[in-house]
Amino acid sequence: MTLHPSGAGRDGARLVALFVAIAALSLLPEPRSARAAPQTFNSALPVADGEFVLRGQFFHRKASSDPSPADRKVEVLGGIAVLGYGVTHDFAVFGVLPYLDKKLGMRTPGGTRTTRGTSGIGDMRFFARYTALQRDAPGRTFRIAPFAGVETPTGEDDERDNRGRLPPALQLGSGSWDPFAGVVLTYQSLDFEIDTSASYQFNTEANDFDFGDEARFDASLQLRLWPRTLGPGVPGFLYAVFEGNLVHRGKNDASGVRDRSSGGTTLFLAPGLQFVTRRWVLEAIVQLPAFQNLHGTALEDDLTVRAGFRVNF
Amino acid sequence: MGRWLTLGIFALALAWALPAFAGESYKLQVGGLSCPFCAYGIEKKLSSLEGVVAVDVDLASGAVLVTMKDHASLDEATATRAVQAAGFTLKRFEPADDAASGG
Repeated sequence: MTLHPSGAGRDGARLVALFVAIAALSLLPEPRSARAAPQTFNSALPVADGEFVLRGQFFHRKASSDPSPADRKVEVLGGIAVLGYGVTHDFAVFGVLPYLDKKLGMRTPGGTRTTRGTSGIGDMRFFARYTALQRDAPGRTFRIAPFAGVETPTGEDDERDNRGRLPPALQLGSGSWDPFAGVVLTYQSLDFEIDTSASYQFNTEANDFDFGDEARFDASLQLRLWPRTLGPGVPGFLYAVFEGNLVHRGKNDASGVRDRSSGGTTLFLAPGLQFVTRRWVLEAIVQLPAFQNLHGTALEDDLTVRAGFRVNF
Repeated sequence: MGRWLTLGIFALALAWALPAFAGESYKLQVGGLSCPFCAYGIEKKLSSLEGVVAVDVDLASGAVLVTMKDHASLDEATATRAVQAAGFTLKRFEPADDAASGG
């Protein structure tokens, strides 16, 4: 059903090969931690009525800038599977399943280096999104979609090793039911797309521990690099992607006492690439902290590398 | 060898002749269709309609050509529902012959 001029098809195959190579390189080892897996910044674009969209993402997060003598180094290697379903043309539901491998390396008071960690299923998230405003014109669309959901305590929150119970940030799950809500705006034309999202997560208490709430503002610009001129049919698009994520986390609360070395504000800037066809999308992005104002000795992010795919079926 | 050649000629002739058996075609102008990933939803919804044999999306113009089986037809209300179910807006609906002649 799709027409591809043969030359464009060949160029497309080369671009896909290049993109896959870049995505594979981006998966080479490196790391960081915090609590649950970072969630993908969604768009307001539709999931067709009665249809499914599957998204997979692999990420590698690293944080090692520790101002304390413990010289902590945290890394998380993970995968996130997102399944979206269009209940109606303007109402979609999503489930997010994370798999995490967390490691914390640190120097003990005795001066020896030790590593603690765990791996497994993290906290699943479920949310619904409703398209409250939709303005369509030939070749472009503008949509506003509020969303709301909950992070469920599916991840193990009492992992232990030979040194005892792992610290809350190293657990796979928080043990708590954490509701979140927000709104996402998308403007998409044939040449570019802009998305912005504002959201807030209310973290509740579990195991006598309460992670600080999280507020975030995300923005994304996608510029079509290829094809430079649109041909007939539905050609694949290669986009350059620039994203920004402003994340503020409140201080954690342990047994009613505020942890002064937790929470703070971070601004990530992220360049990336995305190749989009009718049936699938390949994407890769590197999140770099451009600004970090963290409390006390909270660990600073080094970088997060993400690579993933989406499939229409 | 001769049998394969005959079969090959038959297949080519069949492929060439099939469009002649297709019925009406309709040109749909769809609003909001602005990326390849979105086009699939439209194709799937329109293809599932009874009597539809082909759906051709042209992203650049936002046009979707729907070809029906012989003696089958598509009405605007059905097309509107299918396009809306995919998450888009039907802006214009017309028989393809009218569209080609500017009518």
